[in-house]
Amino acid sequence: MDTFSLLLNGLSVAFEPMNLMFAFIGVVLGTAVGVMPGIGPALTVALLLPVSLSFGATGSLIMFAGIYYGGMYGGAISSILLNTPGETASIMTAVEGNKMARDGRGGKALGAAAIGSFFGGSFATLGLAVVAPFMVMVALSFGPAEYFALMVLSFMTVSAAFGGSIIRGLTALFLGLAIGLVGIDKLTGQARMAFGVAELRDNISIAIVAVGLFAVGETLYIASQKHNVIDKVEAIKGSVWLTWQDLKRCIRPYIRGTLLGFSFGPLPTGGAEIPTFLSYSTERKTAKGVAKEEFEGPKGAIEGVAGPEAANNASAAGTLIPLLTLGLPTSATAAIMLAGFQQYGLQPGPLLFTNNPDIVWGLVASLFIANLMLVVLNLPFVGIWVKLLMIPRPWLYAGILTFATLGIVGAEGSVFALVLLLAFGVIGFVMRRFGYPLAPVLVGTILGPLAEEQLRRGLMINRGDWTFLFTSPIALTIYAIAIAAVLGPVIWRAMQPKGKNTVFAMDGD
Amino acid sequence: MSSDEEGAGGSRLHSDDGTTGRDLAGLGIALALFALAALIWWDASGYPVRRSYAQFGPEIFPYIVAAGLAVFGLLTVRLALLSEFPPREEMSWPPVLWIVSAIAAEILLLRIGAGFILASGTLFGFAARGMGRRPVWLTILVGIVVSALLYTLFRHGLGLSLRAGPPERLIDGLFRR
Repeated sequence: MDTFSLLLNGLSVAFEPMNLMFAFIGVVLGTAVGVMPGIGPALTVALLLPVSLSFGATGSLIMFAGIYYGGMYGGAISSILLNTPGETASIMTAVEGNKMARDGRGGKALGAAAIGSFFGGSFATLGLAVVAPFMVMVALSFGPAEYFALMVLSFMTVSAAFGGSIIRGLTALFLGLAIGLVGIDKLTGQARMAFGVAELRDNISIAIVAVGLFAVGETLYIASQKHNVIDKVEAIKGSVWLTWQDLKRCIRPYIRGTLLGFSFGPLPTGGAEIPTFLSYSTERKTAKGVAKEEFEGPKGAIEGVAGPEAANNASAAGTLIPLLTLGLPTSATAAIMLAGFQQYGLQPGPLLFTNNPDIVWGLVASLFIANLMLVVLNLPFVGIWVKLLMIPRPWLYAGILTFATLGIVGAEGSVFALVLLLAFGVIGFVMRRFGYPLAPVLVGTILGPLAEEQLRRGLMINRGDWTFLFTSPIALTIYAIAIAAVLGPVIWRAMQPKGKNTVFAMDGD
Repeated sequence: MSSDEEGAGGSRLHSDDGTTGRDLAGLGIALALFALAALIWWDASGYPVRRSYAQFGPEIFPYIVAAGLAVFGLLTVRLALLSEFPPREEMSWPPVLWIVSAIAAEILLLRIGAGFILASGTLFGFAARGMGRRPVWLTILVGIVVSALLYTLFRHGLGLSLRAGPPERLIDGLFRR
């Protein structure tokens, strides 16, 4: 079947009432957590991992994707009205968006953001549907050497792109690899790092690691801060609906932002940070006349909101390409979604497209629906989301912790899981405090065992000869990209503007 | 591994100053990394020897990971000696301790069989108190109400299995009819 009929098939899956409901729950939750600074889509998906086990594979994956997209929409709201981006993807939106809000044009900024998100999300999802089958064809020719190289690429880039230092990023990665070792070895049945504890013999569940590091660690980190800055929430002024005049100004930034986001999303450079920045600087450089004045003055230019918002949603769709076709997560949320697939015994990769076309194409089709729902939720109902910014923090974080432990206790059924949760919470807290990125830990925990399997399978085929790793031209190319990707962010960071008021939800989106 | 990690995390917290030239807390992190590397190496060296085509068994990957951790432990020592960690804000201890004891209290209450609602309600209460809401009896009361609702929703709505104690049996009884 060609892409078109597969997509139609997917639409019929996505339009099943239950799946529509999951998409709706996902986008509502995603927007809600996107709005609140300090809580991002990665944390939310992690919280829902254990609870979602009873939802079925298609339903929960549709919900997770909805949360991912919704988080990108919601992030714009807190960026514009609070000047505190909910996640790294919305940093650039805050620059012009908050200026516009203070200038009394907050409504316009929100409108431009929502439509930009819709534009970027929809066209990039279309791109995803077109590109993914080609990627699958390429991926089918991969053997252990190529897969191992891909995982090394993922390890290197995730560690280098997130957070401030490559040393800290790689340390976090190795911590993740160490966590991934715990449990019975798949190939020989040898128990590793279990120390006679029954619960450790069956691996540490990724949900415990993710919820511990993100939910508990983040709560501890926020609680530990002495000076809690209470930011001023700007009231929404002006209509959120754009005039023709505004749309004409936005359309070029939308197109450029979508292209940037979609091309950077699949690259393992850590999600939306780079494309949104590039989009912003492009708009700023090409601005003329009124727009140029607004960029430079205190009024804020609508182009500076439109471009980055299209870019961050497009990159969310782009991220799904390597995730679905190769099983490679390139952002924190994607890493946890990968864990979501594994929870149902599904391994994303070329075989997923042939074995479970319903799930893959149902998911892709549901993304279009999610985008439609989101633009409706975010234009007329934006006022409701702003109210979320008013929830008192004690209740909010107590609720998050309660929900986190409920999920873990319910899914694992053992009190020992809570002891592990507390341990990972403390580790996550220490890591946050000392500037370690958290995403590499997750990627290491999830991909470590897979990389080990490919490595040992390759060694077995080649009778213990290590050189097989470096003889395939494809693998060598991938290693070259990995090295470039490690050096790239160093250059990138050198040109980044400093001193922005930001709450980095989780070093990644 | 978990108990080691937890202990290491604890000791890292206690040596938290980081104001002078050398970052003692950073050295603590390096120490924890060395300890973890040694633990993995020790564990892997105890696996029974097998002969296979691969010539490498389940120990090969742990050795790689342990070596990596040791290398980054050394680099962390360098970071700490040069004080290259990002500046840390002054830390306020009471909220952190409240939240840690919130989870500890839930673990304890579940272990003695108090059931999900009381355990989770206490967690909620302690956490809200830690984030600045008082008095603690009121927050625990709110927590118990929230947890009872969550229990009903997830146990009877979604079929999640949650630890039952006396209050849960009361709710389960209502649903049986």
